[in-house]
Amino acid sequence: MMLVVENLTKKFKKTMAVDRLCMEIPRGEIYGFVGANGAGKTTTMRIIAGLLAPTSGKVYIDGLNIFRDPLKVKGRIGYMPDFFGVYNDLKVSEYMEFYGGLQGIYGEKCRELTDSLLELVRLTHKRDAYVDTLSRGMKQRLCLARSLIHDPDFLILDEPASGLDPRARVEMKEILKELRTMGKTVLISSHILPELAELCTSIGIIDSGRLVASGSVAEITEKMYQSGLIKIKVAEKEEEAVKILMEMPEVGELSSVAGVIEIKVSGGEETSVRVLKTLVENEIPVVSFHPEECSLEAVFMSLTERSSENENNQ
Amino acid sequence: MKIINNPILLKDMKTKLRGWRTPVLISCYVLLLTGILLLFFLGNNMLDRYSTSAFDPRLAVDAYNYIIVFQFALLFLIVPAMTATSISGERERQTLELMLVTQTPTHDIIIGKILISVAHSILLLLSSMPVLGMVFFFGGIGIMEIVKLLIFYVLTSFFVASSGVFFSTLFRKSIVAIISTYIFLGLLTFGTFFVLGFRAIIMEYVTHSSIDVTYATYLTSLFPSPVFGFTSFYFDKGDYYSFRYSLWGELASEINSQIAYETSILRFLKPWIANGLFDILASALLIFMSSIMLSPLIRKK
Ligand SMILES: Nc1ncnc2c1ncn2[C@@H]1O[C@H](COP(=O)(O)OP(=O)(O)OP(=O)(O)O)[C@@H](O)[C@H]1O
Ligand SMILES: [Mg+2]
Repeated sequence: MMLVVENLTKKFKKTMAVDRLCMEIPRGEIYGFVGANGAGKTTTMRIIAGLLAPTSGKVYIDGLNIFRDPLKVKGRIGYMPDFFGVYNDLKVSEYMEFYGGLQGIYGEKCRELTDSLLELVRLTHKRDAYVDTLSRGMKQRLCLARSLIHDPDFLILDEPASGLDPRARVEMKEILKELRTMGKTVLISSHILPELAELCTSIGIIDSGRLVASGSVAEITEKMYQSGLIKIKVAEKEEEAVKILMEMPEVGELSSVAGVIEIKVSGGEETSVRVLKTLVENEIPVVSFHPEECSLEAVFMSLTERSSENENNQ
Repeated sequence: MKIINNPILLKDMKTKLRGWRTPVLISCYVLLLTGILLLFFLGNNMLDRYSTSAFDPRLAVDAYNYIIVFQFALLFLIVPAMTATSISGERERQTLELMLVTQTPTHDIIIGKILISVAHSILLLLSSMPVLGMVFFFGGIGIMEIVKLLIFYVLTSFFVASSGVFFSTLFRKSIVAIISTYIFLGLLTFGTFFVLGFRAIIMEYVTHSSIDVTYATYLTSLFPSPVFGFTSFYFDKGDYYSFRYSLWGELASEINSQIAYETSILRFLKPWIANGLFDILASALLIFMSSIMLSPLIRKK
């Protein structure tokens, strides 16, 4: 395991930013950390990066307790915060050299690493530019290169694509894919789930400081099908079809408009199969049978809406 | 500890020495010192109409006294302003955390920030060397005096820098840190004289007679004050010089004459040594406390 978090809790005066959070990230995994604004992503990541003391709980990185061995752990993690500043009187290469020095890397070795990292983040042509002349996206990429200077195994990236235009987001995603092939373990946060889905191997959804769902991308998507919607189009015999469907215990809500019946079923794929089979056996002319693929966003919304309702009630 | 290749110091040297600003500032500074010195000589020669020689070398000693006072005053103005923004400035610029996630321990960050401003004040001192050397050339002041002064100057700037960095770590806002540093240094520099006065009053009250304040009393009350340490570098070569009658000159000659009466071991603890030792110990303590406060896992918000 690259990262083990046990019962992590962080309380700021009255707000519970992180609430008994547990998670595990195996080596080589790209773990997407998703949650709404204020869900506690940044707080969790700052604690893991050793920048914030938790109220309680334990964090192990590569088997090391981060509160007992902070400097050793810092050699193994690269951290990119959501907001950061740059020194405006430094050139790009000097910026890398400065952080290299802070990580104990000097001279020729540092220059070589800088060259290869600038190539990775596509900033080689800006080598001698002053850092404050870079665009937002470039600064973000430079910050990523900075977090890689000491070749850490574990990367903590807090919304690396925030504030970027679609094109820059794609570029950032390409770079992150390259990190995956380099064998890095990555914890990456975002409040946009689909953005992470194609990049990540696993996903955890955090809401009000609690991990409400976690698993591989496939598992999370699967969950969505289960409470899915089915759109059925019939050529005729609409009323009869509605009657048959109403009798089935698996079918929940039902609506029909001009030959299109929408039903909500509980249960997985077998239920859909059974519904279709019943209709066909009763000689209903089914034109199309379409289990609506619940978008990741919908999953996210359904998983997080309960707690926001609670908040509103309070 | 990374003293020589401290990345924070290296970065600062690279950016500050680049560009035109530092050379221009240093040139202005040297010009200013030279100007003051010239005015001083001209003024004295003009007042002293009956002087037979064109230039009295004893004047050089007087000028030396003025220049080093000026040099120290400058140190106390510049170093706190530079260091009190060092950590809080990084915090405000959102670069502090990027430093704290590296393997560099917090005390190296603190020491790096201190070394930056010590380096700057040494640079200022070095650039005034030609002017001081001129005084030296005219005679009256030995090379050992200059060496002692250099040591004292470096120790003092180290302490002033440590105080600035300490308050910069303690307070989030740079402006609060700057003000606190000046107040803290002001209390040590001048507040200690109130301690001295208070002790003298109590002693007079107890013994019911007006007594001379001994060197031991001066030493134990004033040791944290750089002004006290600085009295070691005052040269009293007779009553001829205008400097003798400045408040500062009076104090220096009083303390220097009291050392002669001191019989205990304390007489070896010259003002500059006592204050220098205080600087070292206090700096170590301030660095230690700053490192702890800077450590994110210890600081509770
Ligand atoms: N320094 C702090 N002092 C007090 N409360 C804080 C502090 N930092 C965070 N919080 C609170 O903790 C909660 C979680 O914040 P956090 O920044 O971790 O959310 P997030 O998931 O990163 O949100 P976003 O998507 O907006 O970045 C919020 O309610 C926030 O107000
Ligand atoms: Mg955040």
